[in-house]
Amino acid sequence: MNPFALYALLLKATASSFAGLASLPVIRDELVVHRHLITDHELNAAVVITRATPGPVGVYVVSVGYFAGGLPGAIAGWLAMATPALAILVLLRFIGPRAEHPRVRGMLQGVVLASAALLATSAVPLARDAITGPLTLAIMVAGAAALFTKKIDTLWVIAAGAAMSLLGSG
Amino acid sequence: MSPTNTAGPAERTPSLGAIAAVFARHANLTFGGGSATIAVLHREIVARRRWITELEFQLAYALSRLTPGTNLLAFCTAAGWLPRRGTGAAIALAAASIPCSIIAVVATHFYEAWQRDATFAAALRGALAAAVAVMFHTAWVLAAPHVRAAPRKALVFVPASIALVSVFSLSPFTVLLLAAAGGALWPAQSEAR
Repeated sequence: MNPFALYALLLKATASSFAGLASLPVIRDELVVHRHLITDHELNAAVVITRATPGPVGVYVVSVGYFAGGLPGAIAGWLAMATPALAILVLLRFIGPRAEHPRVRGMLQGVVLASAALLATSAVPLARDAITGPLTLAIMVAGAAALFTKKIDTLWVIAAGAAMSLLGSG
Repeated sequence: MSPTNTAGPAERTPSLGAIAAVFARHANLTFGGGSATIAVLHREIVARRRWITELEFQLAYALSRLTPGTNLLAFCTAAGWLPRRGTGAAIALAAASIPCSIIAVVATHFYEAWQRDATFAAALRGALAAAVAVMFHTAWVLAAPHVRAAPRKALVFVPASIALVSVFSLSPFTVLLLAAAGGALWPAQSEAR
């Protein structure tokens, strides 16, 4: 795919989300479901890879770009990740004094709640790809239990999942 | 992120090289997501170096939550803009995003090369299963503050969003636009108790 078109698709996802992984539903819809540029497995791998590397969660878009279009795709992914950040300059100058306005806060609430719902919905087909047997199911359940009950970094959950799978296959 | 000793005016104007160094180091080499990174940046640019004031920091942080995309990058952009305007913003954004992107590309490249290795494939299967748990947890982390602050809105918006995508096959982008419009029509204060 043309890197400019890929940039536009990824930007559509990043510019309509308000947190790193919240762009995932739009990216999955565009690149996996409709255009078949990447697979569910690659999308899931992009999340895994970039949770195991330092930096913001949103950097998974760069990995997605690389899967979809090699190095030019990765550059498109970086630009799509970085571009929405510039919007804060507009907010700083013009909207800052109105940030506490009930309608602005209401809009943010609506978008974040919808983003969370869409993220959970997107995780279902990724789970179908990742949960291949009792061991992976146990890893997913144990990981969720750890995340919901302990203040643990996701890096350690993913590392523990990899270690459990290695031990279970050995 | 205590405001102790940091409520006064910013004392130092950073050089562009110093902005690049601080954001490259702390935005790219901190594990634990945006919150952990912002806590480290607060210590560096407010408490230690005094590039911006506590009030400016709080403004940048609040607005970064309202900015689409990756909140941490928006915060870094604002934190670069406040002391050095456009050039500072551009340098902070580039420094905060390019090194970690290069690391991501290298890791993705090796993923493609290594995925045929049996040991790596076994480890990856476990990591992918754990990543599904991370996604469900992230969804909850995103929603939780708003579920607590606006439970009635959550009861409407969450199932409606799932239904619009799963039953009515609307695109996620369209659902988000509808959620923005619906949220603006349902002001936050109506949920206040």
